[in-house]
Amino acid sequence: MSNDTILDIENLAASVGGTQILQGLSLRVGQGEVHAIMGPNGSGKSTLAQVIAGRDDYEVTGGSVTFRGTDLLELDPEERARAGVFLGFQYPVEIPGVNNAYLLKAALNAKREHEGLGEIDAFEFLKLAREKMALLGMDQSFLNRGVNEGFSGGEKKRNEILQMAILEPALAILDETDSGLDIDALKAVAAGVNALRAPDRSIVLVTHYQRLLDYIEPDFVHVLSKGRIVQSGDKTLATKLEAEGYDWVLEAATA
Amino acid sequence: MTAALDQARLEAAVAARSGDALTGVRSAALARFLGQGLPGPKHEDWRYTNLGNVVDLSNRWLNSGASSNASVGASTAPEAIDAVWISIVNGVVDRDSLTQADDALGPDVAISLLSEESGDPELLIDDALSSLNAALMPDALRIRISANAGIEKPVGLLIDDTGNDDAVTQLRLIVDVAANASAEFIELHRSESGGSRFCNAVTEARLADGARVAWARIQERAEGDTQIGRLQVTLGRDSNFEHAVVDLGGRLVRNDTMATIAHPGAHFGTAGLYLTGDNQHVDNHVTADHQVGPATSTQNYRGIAGGTSRCVFNGKAMVREGADGTDAEQSNHNLLLSKRAEIDTKPELEIYAEDVKCSHGATVGQLDDTALFYLRSRGLDRDQAARVLTRAFAGSVIEQVPVAAVADYLSTAIDQKLDRIIEDNRDD
Repeated sequence: MSNDTILDIENLAASVGGTQILQGLSLRVGQGEVHAIMGPNGSGKSTLAQVIAGRDDYEVTGGSVTFRGTDLLELDPEERARAGVFLGFQYPVEIPGVNNAYLLKAALNAKREHEGLGEIDAFEFLKLAREKMALLGMDQSFLNRGVNEGFSGGEKKRNEILQMAILEPALAILDETDSGLDIDALKAVAAGVNALRAPDRSIVLVTHYQRLLDYIEPDFVHVLSKGRIVQSGDKTLATKLEAEGYDWVLEAATA
Repeated sequence: MTAALDQARLEAAVAARSGDALTGVRSAALARFLGQGLPGPKHEDWRYTNLGNVVDLSNRWLNSGASSNASVGASTAPEAIDAVWISIVNGVVDRDSLTQADDALGPDVAISLLSEESGDPELLIDDALSSLNAALMPDALRIRISANAGIEKPVGLLIDDTGNDDAVTQLRLIVDVAANASAEFIELHRSESGGSRFCNAVTEARLADGARVAWARIQERAEGDTQIGRLQVTLGRDSNFEHAVVDLGGRLVRNDTMATIAHPGAHFGTAGLYLTGDNQHVDNHVTADHQVGPATSTQNYRGIAGGTSRCVFNGKAMVREGADGTDAEQSNHNLLLSKRAEIDTKPELEIYAEDVKCSHGATVGQLDDTALFYLRSRGLDRDQAARVLTRAFAGSVIEQVPVAAVADYLSTAIDQKLDRIIEDNRDD
């Protein structure tokens, strides 16, 4: 790989509630690259996303995760976020009573503080939020609603991408960003992600279906099975998976 | 109850207060008190709240002469609240502030001391605490609002206790709101750190037909204080009483909030928020007594408990025979921030009428791990995330505080208290 490595996962093993989910997973993501991680249900896709973001329900039992040369596993979830790691949730959490604008601003300020910048002023923030919302085709009223409170599936996913747009992470892990979306919502979310593709931003798409990859074209595609990456390739791998299913990969892996 | 108040000294203390127009009331109240004594833990309403320390403190106070701590004049009201204040220091109404408030509020508001009124005062004297209160009260404050008046500025009661000696204060307040009048009231309880006090407050609010009252009570007493408060509301036809009580301070706090709905069309709404840490104990007893219908009542109480604190909610909606068309709601939700804190919640419905709509619900939970992780994954540290979630949890009550003038003050006070509780319970 010619690009500088942003994320380097070596032989990662993780368990939840005593069950081993990740069993020696290795993955290297270069700067500006878009990777898709595909795999059947239960293969460990969401676990990988949660472990990278620092959810402490998962116990890392082996291996390492290095982000821009730093041992990510040593950091608290908030430290990872401030350092530039963003997780787009499969199921964004509804937090009634917490204003969406408040969270966006608090999140941005946490990052700015980490970078030695002062708090963003109210006017600048509003300008930025409006600009990013326009990019994603979101209505201004989103700002004043409770975080994900009463949002439709598409609105929740779009809200995740809005957070990403405002935080401008170096690495975004988007967990099943396409699940539960109709085609219009999917297109809108994909357009948002594409608009955020940048040479200094790496994106890892975790998805069960190839559908999302029709709209966001990955540089690399990996197949995850039983907690390990069993096949890697370019975007044609996704097309093949869509046409032929996962069985051939899994068979090849166990053979 | 094994311990009791020293009767001889109590009689002496009541006698020492006699000589004014309230002498008869005090001695009748004393007799009533001696007939029942303070309630012990076997009393159903006092199962969770033990008055043992109150008895000890009161006896020490009686032994030392049962005097009030010296009044130091009117205290300073918070600038953040725009209200007309009456200052009550160590249980004694500051005369100057009374006169000034009476002038400032205009001709539709009459503020007086009951001892200076003619006629036979009719006071609420029924249970042990209201009887003890009337027996020992230095005076009673009465606020009257004229019919059809709309009072713009809130009437504020600035209740401060000072000094380091053991002290017992009895506050007695009567609010009469005449037909179709509307007014807002603020009760702010504070005290100086370091003392050990027992404050027993009894408030009667009587609303005539069509009267509308908004009432906010903020309690920020020091850590050694015991506060018992009774609020008795009687509601006229089509009257409306919206109430909120926020307990932030004190060591042992007990609120009895009671409404008698004896006329149709009335609404009684009460909201409560209690934020407790250390070994605080806050007990809210709420009763909406629906004697006729149609009428509505709501009880919405929420608590956040850390340390070894204990919170009690006992809410009751009583719907009597014939009170058809009653709509009564109760909810009590609690958040435990410490494994050692305790919540006891008991919403009760007693219904003897047809055609009523009643609901109740109670929960005790902890901070949602998934929500905490979500916020942390956006860069908020654990304390900040906990603050955001607890604040949002309290929000439904804060929004219901019916007196807009206290909003900013309350917001700051709540944030400060939440910060303390979260910091103290970080490792729980």
